[in-house]
Amino acid sequence: MAESNFWLDYILPLLLIVGYILAIVVPIMLSVAIVSYAERKIWAAMQWRKGPNVVGPFGLFQPLADGAKFFLKETIIPSGANRVLFLLAPVIMFSLGLIGWAVIPFDQHLVLADINVGILYLFAVSSLGVYGIIIAGWASNSRYAFLGALRSAAQMVSYEVSIGFVLVTVLLAAGSLNLNEIVEAQKGLWFFIPLAPMFVIYLISALAETNRTPFDLPEAETELVGGYQVEYSSMSWVLFMMGEYANIILLSGIAVILFLGGWLPPFQVEPLTSVPGIVWFLLKTSVLVFFFTWTKGTFPRYRYDQLMRLGWKVFLPASLFWVVVTAGAMHLFGWLPK
Amino acid sequence: MIIETIVFYVFAVVTVAAGVMVVVSRNPVHSVLFLILAFFSSAGLFVLMGAEFLAMVLIIVYVGAVAVLFLFVVMMLDINFSELRAGFFQYLPVGGVVGVILLAELILVFASGAADITLPKTVASPTPPADVVSNTEALGNILYTRYAYLFQAAGLVLLVAMIGAIVLTHRRRVGVRRQRIADQVARDPKDVIELKDVKPGEGASWKSD
Amino acid sequence: MTELANPNYLAALPEMFLAAAAAVLLMIGVFVGNRSTTALTLLSALAMAAAFIMVLVAPDERATAFGGLFVTDTFSTFMKCLVLIGASVTLIMGLGYVKREGMARFEFPVLILFASVGMLMMISANDLIALYIGLELQSLSLYILAAFRRDAVRSSEAGLKYFVLGALSSGFLLYGCSMVYGFTGATNFEAIAAAVASGGEAGAAGPIGILIGLVFIAVALAFKISAVPFHMWTPDVYEGAPTPVTAFFAAAPKIAAMALLLRVFLGPFQELVEQWEQIILFVSIASMALGALAAIGQTNIKRLMAYSSIGHVGYALVGLAAGTPEGVRGVIIYLTIYMVMSLGAFSCILAMRQKGQMVEQISDLAGLSKTNPLMAFSFAVFMFSMAGIPPLAGFFGKLYVFLAAIDAGLYGLAIVGVLTSVVGAFYYIRIVKLMYFDEPAAPLDRPIGVELSVVLAGTGIVTVLFFAYPTPVLIGAQAAAASLFP
Repeated sequence: MAESNFWLDYILPLLLIVGYILAIVVPIMLSVAIVSYAERKIWAAMQWRKGPNVVGPFGLFQPLADGAKFFLKETIIPSGANRVLFLLAPVIMFSLGLIGWAVIPFDQHLVLADINVGILYLFAVSSLGVYGIIIAGWASNSRYAFLGALRSAAQMVSYEVSIGFVLVTVLLAAGSLNLNEIVEAQKGLWFFIPLAPMFVIYLISALAETNRTPFDLPEAETELVGGYQVEYSSMSWVLFMMGEYANIILLSGIAVILFLGGWLPPFQVEPLTSVPGIVWFLLKTSVLVFFFTWTKGTFPRYRYDQLMRLGWKVFLPASLFWVVVTAGAMHLFGWLPK
Repeated sequence: MIIETIVFYVFAVVTVAAGVMVVVSRNPVHSVLFLILAFFSSAGLFVLMGAEFLAMVLIIVYVGAVAVLFLFVVMMLDINFSELRAGFFQYLPVGGVVGVILLAELILVFASGAADITLPKTVASPTPPADVVSNTEALGNILYTRYAYLFQAAGLVLLVAMIGAIVLTHRRRVGVRRQRIADQVARDPKDVIELKDVKPGEGASWKSD
Repeated sequence: MTELANPNYLAALPEMFLAAAAAVLLMIGVFVGNRSTTALTLLSALAMAAAFIMVLVAPDERATAFGGLFVTDTFSTFMKCLVLIGASVTLIMGLGYVKREGMARFEFPVLILFASVGMLMMISANDLIALYIGLELQSLSLYILAAFRRDAVRSSEAGLKYFVLGALSSGFLLYGCSMVYGFTGATNFEAIAAAVASGGEAGAAGPIGILIGLVFIAVALAFKISAVPFHMWTPDVYEGAPTPVTAFFAAAPKIAAMALLLRVFLGPFQELVEQWEQIILFVSIASMALGALAAIGQTNIKRLMAYSSIGHVGYALVGLAAGTPEGVRGVIIYLTIYMVMSLGAFSCILAMRQKGQMVEQISDLAGLSKTNPLMAFSFAVFMFSMAGIPPLAGFFGKLYVFLAAIDAGLYGLAIVGVLTSVVGAFYYIRIVKLMYFDEPAAPLDRPIGVELSVVLAGTGIVTVLFFAYPTPVLIGAQAAAASLFP
């Protein structure tokens, strides 16, 4: 009796959770592959090239070929490197790109963990991203890597502050820290309209958080020959890359939930509402991922002092100001939720 | 229940072990990383207690910001590890003896039962039941009403700390060329660009004033 | 949404006003730059004067605010007045020095304002957390002020030393507070008092846990008032910090910390008087002895003042050791007089310049009576007064605490106090001898500046003529002390 209880009470839920996790992680890995292919195609189109077109029809199997290549190559660990940390860094990076998805609601009930403080959880996860980079840079025992890591630490901490304030305004508007409730609060009006300035700040800060152009100074091929990744090869490098892409998709997903109404259709009218929420969510996320790609194909890299100036002297005061304005307006006009 | 107990002990053991490692590890960078581990497992303990807000804030503030700066500084410092170790062992006997005496005293006091006096089981701010009020709301409610004075005063303390950091370290260096974006934007192309129609084989002449 | 029970914001009006004023002045400073320092200094003094008036006009009866975190009574009114006088006078006194010595940065008056806010909060603290936050606000500002001349090695050293040791003492304080909270379940002073009283019946020794907490709190507060054996930072910090800052240290924070000590020991821990009395006795005797003996060998006048202040703290604690309203009245009178004397002494020290350079060796004072007789006379008055020679003010300060000690049956303490006074008189009078009977080395610069002259004259007159009209201070101190003994 006790034994059967044990199986029912502990092992079954455990297996279920593992199943859920796989159901989230596998599609994400797949979309990472697709996004990496799509990016190259989009950049190619922007630059009047063809992009990958050899492996498979339209080069569709290119990501698989790349994966196989990296998988078969040797992992090189520099002799002066701190072995444990050197190998730990990409793992941290990769897993952080995945664990954020635990609280993302793909649809009203399609969420692994519907926790009270979902948005704080996401913020915490994104604030940890810096560790992967800084540990990689330090453990590599290489000057380029270290410089890249230091830049990245300063950069990510700086932009996190404004992201924090952006989150605060969304919280004010939604009146909850639960992601599903935030989405529900946008039934009437998606937040990117009333909170337009914060949406812009969020998008730009998200670029800085993910070290994407125009804020890819930690990598900066032209000056740091790859920055913190310079000593990495084969699978360890792939983990970094996959983590980066998973992070981009994650931050796009967060933007969709916070500002673009998550799984809600654009208008609450019949043909649109019968489309499953997950379709809307994925559609919106894809648009934002495209935006990331578009930016990378368009803008040159920022100079470091300009980057810091933008973060501390423009975004921080602006977002702080907007928090005050939002809170004041909501209090004044009685728009406060609940 | 069993699982919660196991998880509690895992987190507790990891916290304590990481705390010990912070002190004894040879490399300061490792110390900071162990500190982060300790923060993490403390956050886990908070979650077990149902204080999810505190857990997240602990990670965001301490792991996401404070420890990054620690790591940042420690990595850039040139610390002579062997010298530090020498100091450690030099003071270990004295420090150890003092520590042991203090510990023994505390144990004696608390084990002798002298401290075992039943006091009114009051707490300054009783926790509301978790199923009625989420703990984010409960914290906000008490922080911005009952402890508003302390909240504001803590803000003043932070302001002073900020002023202090600026007063003691900020130097306006002379001879640094600064970017003035307003000037750059205000510049009119007409004043600074001159279009020359250059005939082939003649070259451009440039009049300097 | 719960509403705050009994916010009573009006009770904290002076604090709120000062904090707001500091923030406004900070903004002015940021936008105008360092050339606004003089204006900001005067405005800060003005703000303190305004706060002084707010403190005075507030109703005298005991009132709590912010749900019991904050308390105002006659005691807090008296102490706040003292602190505000001390802070604003040192601010004005330091004006010339700040301008001359390249310290004219707008943050200076702003930090002093914030420190004053912290001190007012300490004096009005009615809760362990409020106590801690007020103390931190004050200490943090003081650490920065001590290191304010960041290019001078000694100033940076003073700031760092003060910071490290101060942080340690804050740690002790927090540890003690957590013990007390753990064993009483309260941070509010009245609630702690109630818990201590009910726990005290169980055994004569009282709950040991609370006692351990009390000892840690006592250690931290003893550090803040620089009482032996937690005085080590004082001479270095006094010597290293810029002189106006040292004057400020001597005048204001000491009074605030002492007020806090009185409030904590006589409020929540009144029932444990037999326990903490031993600590205070020891600390008091040790401070008096060390202040008297260690000062003898000093050659630097600021170091000497540091040891002198350690000694004075010892004398003030004699009154607390008595644990009676008379004793507390003695402490309050002593602090008042001490503040006046040290303001005067420091205005003399701030005037010690030779050929435009600040000097701080005691030997530089040689023959001052011939080069600047007025200053020599007033300095002599302060030295005699600090030594406790009648009929100067310092004598009365000591008289009241010793009388209280004798009333409480602490004959030994009173005798030690008188003996150390005699020893201490030696080095005070040595300075007088130096000024009047030695040949001048190099004359000090004249004139010393209007603000210093005014302070010197004012404090000198108070010190000399205190015996003629002591009534206001006595009555005020009486009422203030009575309000601590409900």
